[in-house]
Amino acid sequence: MSTETAEVKEKKPAEALFSKRRRRIVSDPLNEDNPITVQVLGICSALAITIKMEPTLVMSIAVIAVVVFSNLFISLIRDLIPGRVRIIVQLAVIATLVTLVSEVLKAYYFDMYKVLGAFVGLIITNCIVMGRLEAFAMANKPYDSILDGLGSGFGYAWIILVVAFFRELFGSGSIMNFKVFDAIGWESFPTNGLMVDSIGAFMVLGILIWVQRAKTGYVEH
Amino acid sequence: MQRSNTYIILFSVALTVILGGLLSLASVGLKPAQQKQIELDTKKKILGAVMDISSYNDPNAILALYDEKVESMIVDINGDEVTTDQKGNPVTAEKVDIQKNYRFPANERLFPVYKFKEDPSSDKVDAYIFPMFGAGLWDWISGYMALENDLNTIKGVAFDHKQETPGLGARITSEEVQSRFVGKKVFEGSELVSVSMVKGEGNAGLTEHQVDGMSGATLTGKGVNAMLQSYLGYYESYINKVKSGNGKVALN
Amino acid sequence: MEIFNIALKATFIDNMVFAYFLGMCSFLAVSKKVSTAFGLGMAVIFVLTITVPVNWLLQEYVLKEGALAWLGEDFATVDLTFLQFIMFIAVIASMVQLVEMVIEKFSPALYGSLGIFLPLIAVNCAILGASLFMVQRDYTIGQATAYGFGSGFGWFLAIIALAAIREKLKYSNVPDGLKGLGITMLITGLMGLAFKSFIGIAL
Repeated sequence: MSTETAEVKEKKPAEALFSKRRRRIVSDPLNEDNPITVQVLGICSALAITIKMEPTLVMSIAVIAVVVFSNLFISLIRDLIPGRVRIIVQLAVIATLVTLVSEVLKAYYFDMYKVLGAFVGLIITNCIVMGRLEAFAMANKPYDSILDGLGSGFGYAWIILVVAFFRELFGSGSIMNFKVFDAIGWESFPTNGLMVDSIGAFMVLGILIWVQRAKTGYVEH
Repeated sequence: MQRSNTYIILFSVALTVILGGLLSLASVGLKPAQQKQIELDTKKKILGAVMDISSYNDPNAILALYDEKVESMIVDINGDEVTTDQKGNPVTAEKVDIQKNYRFPANERLFPVYKFKEDPSSDKVDAYIFPMFGAGLWDWISGYMALENDLNTIKGVAFDHKQETPGLGARITSEEVQSRFVGKKVFEGSELVSVSMVKGEGNAGLTEHQVDGMSGATLTGKGVNAMLQSYLGYYESYINKVKSGNGKVALN
Repeated sequence: MEIFNIALKATFIDNMVFAYFLGMCSFLAVSKKVSTAFGLGMAVIFVLTITVPVNWLLQEYVLKEGALAWLGEDFATVDLTFLQFIMFIAVIASMVQLVEMVIEKFSPALYGSLGIFLPLIAVNCAILGASLFMVQRDYTIGQATAYGFGSGFGWFLAIIALAAIREKLKYSNVPDGLKGLGITMLITGLMGLAFKSFIGIAL
């Protein structure tokens, strides 16, 4: 699933809170080891909700919260989890966290709850979350696991926000519901129906992957 | 590391209890806030059919406005007021789930009526708001239609849809399309004719029962037409009772 | 007829991949060869056709508000919706396990071809997604089964088609950065465009 199964070496005395190794845990998934564009994880939910930036932002926050807390929780109990049932334990923890997120959204952000609908529930099967638990949290200490969760969460977030930015700009002529083209006096801007549609999402993401890989020089064989 | 079955079972039980407990706590704790949100959502939609509420940001202001200006009741297909649901439990108009009622045969459905009064102290009803439900191209369309005091002229509509084609059928929810209904008439003399969206866009010479359509979304328009036609039909006896001004209903 | 429509709509118009992007992880990972894509596709149809109706029963008689009324008056107001996610995923995981065991016992040949894919399916978003959409759309049990089968079949078609294209793609000269995931996304987009042509069909 991931290239990063690095066991942490046994205790060197008091590692700095933001040591170089720890900074890499956060920064790698942002670019070189990005969960979406490089590891090909979590694409399902990444595309469905990126028609506009606002729901995308809410979704990003939800995913970051779920991946960070599930990483933390699994890391805390990693020595107690019996190997044979670990997948179902991980699923149970994720499902619980996702339910909490969905209940909170329903209580305080009902409009968004309606827009995101079933896609909040689908965070459960977002492979990023499962992938991080299996590849990192099961073998690392809680604090490192939080950092890893943050890294992967933000790596996911910035990609889908970029996709959403282009889809909203060209599909609806707005950014965060602000009509930019009306504001600069170009009211007849021809919005592109394909961008609102799922096809636009595939195209934008495909091109984004191209740009990013061209920059990092990563080639898939 | 292999562990005994007993350990695995105990572990699973403990985990279930902890996670289950956490979820129940959250659910119970958040329930009031969620119910308020659902209530607010319904009331916003009802008010949205008669006035522009986008300037109200405070949820409590909207709820207060609703309580002040809207009276609700439920009627059946004959236009008589009802106060209990199909199972005989007491029910209020705002709690009626139109989508669930859609599954019952028409003569068993509950039809909520919302009466909007600019001046709450007077008897004059400024608008009657009727919730509606029907099938669109791919999924359901729901909406509210507000009629003026004459129960003939459309004061406003508010549609919601599950999933129509973005940019085509989905435009039914846009302010621009919905404003085309305003001022149209649903009765011709005493006969109910409803209004209908015509095929194509930018049509000239529309009658007062025709609404300019959405290009590329003829089928969604047809769904809307069918919904308006059938629900206005269900409310017709109520409307006639109010118009003729007799019966308990009209005295409210 | 209505049931047929739902299945048809789930297959072509509401295609799990092209309209909702569900099941993308395995869709991208297991679409390099037609034969493996075929195996996974079959397994998805199988599991979807079973789990959607099972989750329907669970939702209708256990989870939703008032669903426990059959236990007696006292339970008529119980609302267990908050357990929905965790129950659905548990059902899916255990159904997958069950299906795996049944196939292994009664049809070793089928197990040989499907077996390795079954565990993958528990975390396929298309499976959970179909159950969640089924709840959202308020289907009856017949409709739910048709929907489950239809979305599975749609997913099957999509992955077979993509795998066939990717097999040919090996001989194309694709820019370095676009190799693999990038070009696959673009192809998926174009396939989605083709599927869009079904949208105007009135059923």
